[in-house]
Amino acid sequence: MSGVVLDVRDAAVHFRSRGGFLRKAAPPLKAVDGVSLAIAPGETLGLVGESGCGKSTLANAILGLVPLTGGRIEVAGRAVDSADRVSLSAIRSDAQMVFQDPALSLNPRLSIGAAIGEPLLVRGLATGQALRDRVASLLKAVGLEPDHASRFPHAFSGGQRQRIVIARALALQPKLVICDEPVSALDVSVRAQILNLLVDLQRERGMSYLFVSHDLSVVRHIADRVAVMYLGRIVETASMSVLFGKPRHPYTQALLAAAPEPDPVRQRAKPRRVLDGELPSPANLPPGCAFSSRCPLASDLCRSERPTLSARPDGASVACHHAEE
Amino acid sequence: MSLAANLRTRLSRAPASIIIMAGLLGAFVLMALFAPLLAPFDPARQSLIQRLRPPGHTTAQGLTYLMGTDDLGRDLMSRVIHGARASMLVAVASVSVSLLIGSALGMLAGWRRGWVEVAIMRFVDIMLSIPAILLAVLAVAVVGPGFQTLILVLGLTRWPRYARVAYAQTLQVATLPYIRAAELAGARGPRLLLRHILPNIAGPLLVVATAEFGLMILFEASLSFLGLGIQPPTPSWGTILSAGRQYLERAWWLTAFPGACLFLLVLSVNVLGDWLRDHLDPRSRPRG
Repeated sequence: MSGVVLDVRDAAVHFRSRGGFLRKAAPPLKAVDGVSLAIAPGETLGLVGESGCGKSTLANAILGLVPLTGGRIEVAGRAVDSADRVSLSAIRSDAQMVFQDPALSLNPRLSIGAAIGEPLLVRGLATGQALRDRVASLLKAVGLEPDHASRFPHAFSGGQRQRIVIARALALQPKLVICDEPVSALDVSVRAQILNLLVDLQRERGMSYLFVSHDLSVVRHIADRVAVMYLGRIVETASMSVLFGKPRHPYTQALLAAAPEPDPVRQRAKPRRVLDGELPSPANLPPGCAFSSRCPLASDLCRSERPTLSARPDGASVACHHAEE
Repeated sequence: MSLAANLRTRLSRAPASIIIMAGLLGAFVLMALFAPLLAPFDPARQSLIQRLRPPGHTTAQGLTYLMGTDDLGRDLMSRVIHGARASMLVAVASVSVSLLIGSALGMLAGWRRGWVEVAIMRFVDIMLSIPAILLAVLAVAVVGPGFQTLILVLGLTRWPRYARVAYAQTLQVATLPYIRAAELAGARGPRLLLRHILPNIAGPLLVVATAEFGLMILFEASLSFLGLGIQPPTPSWGTILSAGRQYLERAWWLTAFPGACLFLLVLSVNVLGDWLRDHLDPRSRPRG
């Protein structure tokens, strides 16, 4: 597929616990297992799921920070190989990342100008005055003062720090920015500012976002399409309006039901759907559908045979034996 | 704001104790540098008639021994002033050697992991299990006693402490998102270690170094006492102390004066080290 910024095909990341002296090797932990997705230029894909479902592992695998066990990931047509330094360097100028906690994603001993300019400096793309000019324009682009470049991260608030992190991610003019829970560490009052900044930057620069979050209300604000992940697999993908209007997978329905409504009257009127059962360990998944242990619709078929993603006429894909048409 | 200018504004706001300690350390450094000019006598000149004179003793010729004389009739004050050279040089040099080796190996182990980590950290364990004195005796037997041997022995036996601290700190820092961000930016190897990890683990290393500084002077003393360190007649605080020990009941000044100097030097280094650690951290900049 050409013209796709990110193409993930059947990607798998398994973590093997090494057997050691007098220790038996445990079965591999399947953090990501058979995930396929694609992002078009300028598109925002929301990746949602509860913690531990493999969202961040997938994000790390796209940037080659975690080796793939199987499948293939292509960023702007170039295959990601975590062992190939040269191609990784090229991939990381096409895809960059915004991290969850802005307090931890900036080196406290480095001025923010040095942090933002580092990708340019290390790659030899700009030095001296040219570098300072680039840093100043990046700071301006994220709504900060250019003369703040010599200050250190501790002098900024959480929201400002996240702006700095975004500026650093934009320094190489990437085609894809992976946002790994970019607002979940921020105060609610600054979340909207950061989300609006991301939307504005996308409008100006036309890059794509892979927006990883556990918060549906945040994803709803920014995503064009949504992929729902459960224990290493994608269980449903659909455009924003279809997913929120007509969720098909019982897990998606439960996620939507769990998201609080701002209006208390509507919140009380909302059907409650509490999931029973335990989240299985990703190191020991049930043989059939991973969700079968908690699913209200689970049948014997679900417990023995794993459902595959099947396309629906409105563009959605669902992996469920019982999802209503 | 440059680091030097920043430090200057901080120093101007430092509490009196820091100013006093800085002055004290400065005085010791100057004393060591200008020892030949400051010492009233030749530290090696013996005068067996003037053995074990108490402080302030004035001879028939009108010479005053401000700190008294030792068992060979040498002027104690001159020996203490000259001794500052050997003691401080040994301490500074051996702390530098062990800090360099220890932090480099510790960071490498914490960053590379895998077999590098196993090899380095097991070697650290082995080093820690060998008594330093035994190693010193071995080294001296092979190379012969002297100044360089002393520095090498101390430098090469004390690095595991720094390696442990650097290793633990690196493990902690290496998993932080800003290190991953630096990797994504394209930083690798030396740049990552020196620019991103080292500044963030320097505080604890500095504290170990200042604590070790005092220990090194004491180690120099005990090795010199065993005849493995500074060779007589060159004075060092350690050799003066160990020689004076035999005359403790008769001549208190032989241990009191070099002991007091040692105490004050180690105190000033430790207090200043703590203060530096707190204030090199950009999170604790002076307000305004």
